[in-house]
Amino acid sequence: MNSLAMPATVNKNQMKTLATTFNTLIWLFLLTFAILILLPLVFMFTASIMDAKEIITMPYRWIPSEIKWANYARAIAGNDGSYQFVRNIANSLIVSISIMVSTIFLSSMVGYGLAKFNFKGRNIVFLAIMATMMIPFETIMIPLFMVALKLGIQDSYRGLIIPFMLNAFAVFQMRQYLLTFPEDILDAARIDGMNEPSIYAKIILPNATPVIATVAVLTFRQQWDTLLWPLLVTQREEMKTIPAYIVKFAAEKYADEGAMMAVAVIASIPVIALFLSLSKYFVGGSSTYAAGKE
Amino acid sequence: MKLKAKPSYEQKKARWGWIFVSPGIVFFSIFSFFPILNAFWTSLLNKKLVSLKKANFVGLTNYIKILTNYDFWNSMKATLVFTVGCFIPLVIIGLVLAIFIHSRKRFNRSLQLVYYSPAVLSSVVAALIWFLMLQPTGLLNQTLNTLFSTSGVDYKWLASGPMVRLSTIIVYFWKYIGYFAILYITGIGKIPTAIYEAATIDGANGWNQFKLITIPLLKPTTLMVSIMAMIQCLKTFSTQYLFTQSGAPSAPINVITLNIYNTAMRDNNLSRASVMSVILFLIMLLLTIVQFKTSKSDDVSF
Repeated sequence: MNSLAMPATVNKNQMKTLATTFNTLIWLFLLTFAILILLPLVFMFTASIMDAKEIITMPYRWIPSEIKWANYARAIAGNDGSYQFVRNIANSLIVSISIMVSTIFLSSMVGYGLAKFNFKGRNIVFLAIMATMMIPFETIMIPLFMVALKLGIQDSYRGLIIPFMLNAFAVFQMRQYLLTFPEDILDAARIDGMNEPSIYAKIILPNATPVIATVAVLTFRQQWDTLLWPLLVTQREEMKTIPAYIVKFAAEKYADEGAMMAVAVIASIPVIALFLSLSKYFVGGSSTYAAGKE
Repeated sequence: MKLKAKPSYEQKKARWGWIFVSPGIVFFSIFSFFPILNAFWTSLLNKKLVSLKKANFVGLTNYIKILTNYDFWNSMKATLVFTVGCFIPLVIIGLVLAIFIHSRKRFNRSLQLVYYSPAVLSSVVAALIWFLMLQPTGLLNQTLNTLFSTSGVDYKWLASGPMVRLSTIIVYFWKYIGYFAILYITGIGKIPTAIYEAATIDGANGWNQFKLITIPLLKPTTLMVSIMAMIQCLKTFSTQYLFTQSGAPSAPINVITLNIYNTAMRDNNLSRASVMSVILFLIMLLLTIVQFKTSKSDDVSF
């Protein structure tokens, strides 16, 4: 209000410079923050091709004086030359891809059943499935482990895969997406004599590509990150997945920093590739997908 | 359309509905509902992982033992310190970043991509990067030495209790700040621009618009983000596990999930691990109920 007392022109100019200064400060803040966020990532990539001595030489050389691919060779061979890393990364791929595929099929089936069929008790089934989102894995891992022991699937791919073949969030996404699918098309197919399984396989699945992509990426990333369950359910080294391997490698011989970062880079390639190819699902407004599950 | 009137058709459809949802019913019964009920039941037994004796029903004995156990309360404290230390900066700085990013006309998307990028990495990889940077000879410790001209000082990032707590919080903050900022940006994007246009016509300046429109209308988002961040922080495990396995002191960062894991796998005591699981479950359930309640009552309709 007191601004009215000032001459209008001065006020306007002052406001303008103030706004510009403010604007510059915001840019400065955002860029500084962006650099701070990126530095550890740049450190990971540069240290992975650096000589161990150079990594701890300060000031840090953001451009390595000499590229040492030997770090990668050591990372792949392991400290004992057992190539355990290769086996463990293969395990992670097998487990994550299996869970991703089964989640796509099972969640689309259940989601389709919940979205497009009227039956008594449908709402109860839907609410019950949604309620499982309130049971975080961390709170049921011990009884889940006992279930795995009882089923005799511990220390095997089955033990790593079966308890995660479906999740409630994927069912929810599928159901929400399929709710909007036009009923007429389904009825027309039925009148044409198509049976229900082929309607699901030939009409529903091909038309659910966007939601399938989202579910696939989120499920894969989630599984690639999982550490606790493989720690619980596997005993043999050759059954371990990549996160457990990384912890072991870091604890084993902490001096070889170059090899550690090489392991980190290789272990990140699948998720980085997935993220870059499907980044539109994660940022830029339509981030409801990213918001769902961690 | 006329076919719909036939009851047999409806019955057939209902049957197919059941067939399609049945894998879900079977799966969630075995791998969600049975385990949580079993957690409650096991917490009342004296069940060991490797034991020839049959487990006996011991009632609330385990609960009494846990609730009078120093180690448990230490874990509760470690979890509380971590959760509070993490979610407050995540919620506040996440909001600030979101508002700043949203106000940019250019590079909006690129900034989001950059801030989100650490969230793509595995938790273990994130922990490993920081583990190396926090070494006495590591990048961060040495940079601080250069900045404060304290050459050769070890800030004990991975050795002293308070510092190792701070270190785990830094790792988590770094990994998730972009993720929570994007949640806020989504929330801001939902506020209709017409409100701002009306405010501009009425003569409200940028700061007033921010204070009187953005902040109040973001209240539901803020609540959602807060509780999501809290639940997320309560589940933390990877960073603490990697740090302690690599020689960091375990007591200050022995969070509840780490304690459950060690109690079950190292001490073979499934019942006590179940007691802690049940307690963790109840805390998270409470937070989820609060989230549902507030998101319903506080929903803003535009």
